[in-house]
Amino acid sequence: MIQLHNVSLSYQQDASALNNIDLKIGKGEFVFLTGPSGAGKTSLLRLLYGALTPNSGQVLIDGQNVTRMSASQIPLLRRSIGVVFQDFKLLNNRTVFENVAITLEVLGWGRADVGKKTMYILKQMGIESKYNLITQRLSGGEQQRVALARALVNDPKILLADEPTGNLDDANKNQILSIFKEANIRGTTVVVATHDRRLIEQSHKRLVTLNKGEIVEQMEKETASDYQAP
Amino acid sequence: MNKWKKKQPATIKRLKRPALSGDVFGGKAGFYLARAVTNIRQNVFVNVVTIGTITLALLIVSLFLLVYVNIESAAENWSERVQVTVYFDKELTGLDQNAFREKILALPGASRVSYVTRDEALKRFKVRLKGQEAILEGISPEVLPTSFEITLKRSHRDTASVESFVTALKRIPGITEVQYGEEWVRRFNSFLNFMRLLGALLGGFLVIAVVFIVSNTIKLTIYSRRDELDVMALVGATRFFIKAPFLLEGLIQGMAGSVLSIIILYGLFEGFLHNAGNFLTFNPVSSGLNFLPLEYIAGLLLAGALLGFVGSLTSLKRFINV
Repeated sequence: MIQLHNVSLSYQQDASALNNIDLKIGKGEFVFLTGPSGAGKTSLLRLLYGALTPNSGQVLIDGQNVTRMSASQIPLLRRSIGVVFQDFKLLNNRTVFENVAITLEVLGWGRADVGKKTMYILKQMGIESKYNLITQRLSGGEQQRVALARALVNDPKILLADEPTGNLDDANKNQILSIFKEANIRGTTVVVATHDRRLIEQSHKRLVTLNKGEIVEQMEKETASDYQAP
Repeated sequence: MNKWKKKQPATIKRLKRPALSGDVFGGKAGFYLARAVTNIRQNVFVNVVTIGTITLALLIVSLFLLVYVNIESAAENWSERVQVTVYFDKELTGLDQNAFREKILALPGASRVSYVTRDEALKRFKVRLKGQEAILEGISPEVLPTSFEITLKRSHRDTASVESFVTALKRIPGITEVQYGEEWVRRFNSFLNFMRLLGALLGGFLVIAVVFIVSNTIKLTIYSRRDELDVMALVGATRFFIKAPFLLEGLIQGMAGSVLSIIILYGLFEGFLHNAGNFLTFNPVSSGLNFLPLEYIAGLLLAGALLGFVGSLTSLKRFINV
């Protein structure tokens, strides 16, 4: 599902953010990316949804070469990828419903279908009663669930998460983690970048450790289903 | 943000958007328009600032245009005084009059020719010496010359054209004495050219300033909503899908601004400027300022719409990095 071959990336001439990364993530896998701040976790995720292009190497998503995509193809790629962030990136002056519905509107769904599907995913996230609240008024955990609803509402093939629990307390962390797991069970490939040790230990999933732009350690968990070693 | 929060109604707004039924253009256009209108409603403050800026900017331009147009028309009136007079020391017969009239009108640039008899000349003289008519007592009309007064076409009122017209006029046999207020014509035309240059310079600077101010305002308003652009790009919206509502919003802002500026200008005109123009013209018949002609108003409306649209377009380019 996700393949990186010899990927290198540097923002300016100075230090390189990623250095010769080789990584394969199979369909339906659940992978944690970890490592200290500045290790390159965020950069790696940004490569996957086409927000960055590497200086060298290839990035393949579902058989498609992201590095060769034109600017007009990137939006199509992103429609099969859900992304959540530590700071949620919600539209603060919009309602919960509007924040989630935007994903489907972009895809050109009809109004009735958008309404049904959005309410369905909000119910799954347990926030359907707050559909008409401005996201600013929600707690951190609720906001992250709105962001997750936005990412998952069109059943993406891949879910990317960048420090999704960084701003949350333990109870909320567990809730978010179980949403990730559920999505994974339904077939979505999940990649979570985090340096939250506890989250990783709890979940028994494959772990890729980055440091200074290089993969320094890979640990496989028995629960990883159809994972093929690179 | 907080301002907005208070205004948010407690119940969900009914979604008025039409269904996006695939590739029906009308459906999509309606969707984008509905989105633009929703955006304006949800960002009232920002929109008021933008429309206000466009209104003020266009008001300054249109005020300038108003003054310019009126000075031009006043100059037009003054230039009526560019007149060439041919004097004769005898009264012409009707036949002679017609013969001269035909020959003069055949010259390029001649617009109107009128014959002034001795009696008419004396009458004018008396009018000019109003209050001191006693001086003219006992003077018979025979002392005064008869004359042809020739008005020139608009395109032939500049110094060079007047001079060449006079040269051609003098070639007509029988015409010897020609007067045309040489110095006045020269001064008037150089004054007119100076005014036009000044107008073009001022107008040019004004337009540059207006474009700069409006485009920066729009840039700031779009900058304040860049998270929206980011989110749309994140969930896979195409560039056009992201841009279209913003462009429509810009168009609406521009049109609203230009309509408002014209309304305000008209109000100012009716209120203050209407009667203030007497000093601009020598001709009492056409005193008073005129409002902008229709084509200028149409131009201003178009300029406003264009300003909003192009301003949004260029600003979006900077913030959309898909």
